[in-house]
Amino acid sequence: MKVDSFNTLILPLKEKLFRHAFSIVRDRAEAEDILQDLLLKLWSRREEWEGISNPEAYCYRAIRNMSLDRLSVASNRKNALPTYEEDEASLIDNESPHIRLVRKEQQELIVHSLSLLPKRQQEVFQLREVEEMSYRQIADTLEISEELVKVSLFRARKKLQELLSGEEMNERSQMGSSRKQNES
Amino acid sequence: MCKEMNRDRIHELLNKYWNCETSLAEEQELRRFFSEEELPEELQRYSPLFSYIREEQAPRLSAEFDQRLQESLRKAEIPVIPHHLLRRTTLTRIAASILLLLGVGVSLYFITRQQNNPQYVERGNEETEVLEQATNALEKLADALRLSEEASRQTLRQINEMEIDWELIDSLNSETTPGETDPYSETDDAGEVSPANDTIQKGVNAGYLESINSEEKI
Repeated sequence: MKVDSFNTLILPLKEKLFRHAFSIVRDRAEAEDILQDLLLKLWSRREEWEGISNPEAYCYRAIRNMSLDRLSVASNRKNALPTYEEDEASLIDNESPHIRLVRKEQQELIVHSLSLLPKRQQEVFQLREVEEMSYRQIADTLEISEELVKVSLFRARKKLQELLSGEEMNERSQMGSSRKQNES
Repeated sequence: MCKEMNRDRIHELLNKYWNCETSLAEEQELRRFFSEEELPEELQRYSPLFSYIREEQAPRLSAEFDQRLQESLRKAEIPVIPHHLLRRTTLTRIAASILLLLGVGVSLYFITRQQNNPQYVERGNEETEVLEQATNALEKLADALRLSEEASRQTLRQINEMEIDWELIDSLNSETTPGETDPYSETDDAGEVSPANDTIQKGVNAGYLESINSEEKI
């Protein structure tokens, strides 16, 4: 029975949990490592599962904490923030190199402005947009109220709207690229 | 035509999106729309956000992950066995509880037997003997009490026979004169005691004076 619940409840979450770990540590191998650790831990403590009311939220919290731990250890060790890993398997492949470059820079701008948001807004945004969670699920995962989830998401989206609607969007990305060219 | 409708729909959805009024399905629709190649001019500025989200969703576990996980699970605890373990633990639990019950039963049996035996002996065997023993002990105690009572009575009588002058004894508390210090001085050699005391006193005094004198001489 417990073996079954591991297979039916926990294992189907693996892709989502992996993405969540990846979104924090920004390293595929590291994220897979963390996920494996988590699954092993869950397996070895399967006797205690009866007490967990919401396994999905529990798993998310666990992988988030483990990823953050890993990150702090890594940053202590390397004394450097993880770099945004370039995704080679980009969905949009048949683009001219120029458009691709522009797009990449625009995305970097988004990553950057997201990173300026308060931690909670970042997390809510991630869970809603990338993990496609309901407000209720996010509230359970982050152990905050649904109201706070909505407020945080609203603020995060508003920030992005300002960023994207404003005319300075293109200018900024231009500035960014020129700065980069200067540096290189 | 269709594209125009679609465009209106997207504008509407976007407005809802910024106000956090979209459902998950509608947000999916938005992402799908923005993944298309050709976007209307005024909507292009939003495409980086949705392509960012799509790329965030893209990472997939490597093909070897499952195999590695299975291996590590096997190494960690041998996941095939738990069924056996579970059965074995329940079996051992049952066995343990049976043993426990047996143990309790046997010990209860012996305890009750032990409690029964002496009762049986006391009541049936030598009831009279026990009674005799008890009365014997009581008689001995009574004898002892009687003896001690007699002894105390005798001493009281002897004290009365002594004809002590109680007033004199009381007066001794305030002043002590050598002759009368001993309340039992009416005994035989009372007369000889005091002169002897006197001579000793004198001797001591003389010795003391002599020593003082000798010190002065030095």
